[in-house]
Amino acid sequence: MAEYLLPDTLAEAGEMMAAHGRSLAIMAGGTSAMRCGTCRGRRGRGIACIECAGPRLVSVPNSAYVMGIQRLGLDRLEADNGVLNIGAGVTMRNLAASDMPAALCQAARRVGGPALRNMATVGGNIFARQPYGTVAAMLLAMDAVPVFTGPDGSREVALAEFYTSGAIAAGLLTHIECPHPQGRLVFVKCARQRFAGPTVITVAVRIELETGGKVAAARIALGGAGETPLRAEAAEQLLIGEKLEAPAIEAAAAAAKAACAPADDPVASAWYRRRMVGVYVARALEQAGEGEAP
Amino acid sequence: MTAKRVSLTVNGRGENIAADGLTTLQQVLREALDYNSVKDGCTQGSCGACSVLVDGELRIACLLPAGGLQGAEVTTLEGLNARNSTSVIQQSFVEHSAAQCGFCTSGMIVSAQALLDENPAPSRDEIMEAISGNMCRCTGYLPIVEAVASAARKLAKGDGA
Repeated sequence: MAEYLLPDTLAEAGEMMAAHGRSLAIMAGGTSAMRCGTCRGRRGRGIACIECAGPRLVSVPNSAYVMGIQRLGLDRLEADNGVLNIGAGVTMRNLAASDMPAALCQAARRVGGPALRNMATVGGNIFARQPYGTVAAMLLAMDAVPVFTGPDGSREVALAEFYTSGAIAAGLLTHIECPHPQGRLVFVKCARQRFAGPTVITVAVRIELETGGKVAAARIALGGAGETPLRAEAAEQLLIGEKLEAPAIEAAAAAAKAACAPADDPVASAWYRRRMVGVYVARALEQAGEGEAP
Repeated sequence: MTAKRVSLTVNGRGENIAADGLTTLQQVLREALDYNSVKDGCTQGSCGACSVLVDGELRIACLLPAGGLQGAEVTTLEGLNARNSTSVIQQSFVEHSAAQCGFCTSGMIVSAQALLDENPAPSRDEIMEAISGNMCRCTGYLPIVEAVASAARKLAKGDGA
């Protein structure tokens, strides 16, 4: 069983990471990572543990050392100078209750039940195995930038690039920076239950409209539709210069559906997920188009 | 590897425990300290049968490494029993047949108490959300929702609170 390390300072955390290298895994709220640690060979009984079923981004059971981050003070949640600053250790409960953009709070509220939201963190969500990573999809649509600290100082990498380059942590994720989002944000989640339903897929969009109601900038991020949260870039491109009306929305939804690569798991089939991507992208765009044009 | 010594309070009593690696709070409470209300259910954070309060907040004990709980105040259903409001919830569970096999019941009542501590007059939706992390395979949930709503009404009228 892994040794559990609890550094009190970032400097101490840095020393532990340097000393143990790849035999150390980082754990925040533990709601994903501890599942691996406690699944006790359920696979042996023919029950697929969702954490073990596919490529994992967190690998706790195979690590000699597990480092908890709860004493590092990474639970800041601030908005200043037009930048949102969200600590990696901020819980879903605190994010949901915060004055952050409403769609981001909604995304946090759609993670698990109340006990889980008291534990699960934003930082953990960035690394969560799909179809989890509900908040990560919203952050992706908001052009968020995870900030890592490592032996060579801190390193920022845009979340979009982080995911397209294999979601490799460049040190310890301390916080996520995000420009105060321009335009309209919408978050929608497809699940089989209203509360605490495991994610089938999630769709997060950010739309900036210019005078006259044409789309000036678009972000469409999908959760549960690939190995990591991903942007539906072809769909975004189709919207630029168009009004958010049926023809453009249908074209974008079809493009998102065609470009995604969801997986089969006990929650839903890849076939169903792909269908739902089309439905929910259209729904999210319709919601973004509601209200008065600027 | 040496086990971590951790001092914490469980149901008002000081405890000094040894926690190996990622030993969970659920294992410590049930196996070392004999609090049998803390069920060994899915060990995956999915069923809620090990729900407890840590520093007054609802937590899933099977996902919580005990090694990180130095100084924490843990309350299980056994500890809540001393509270009249919990007795009212329990009585409502009996009246509404909200407990059948009973496996989920302790976690359900801890979640219900956590809800009523924060929100003494919850709507039906708020009750459903509050117990959404607790699985029940017998009742179909409706009797449980009724029981919590009824307990909230009784407590608001001052019965037993």
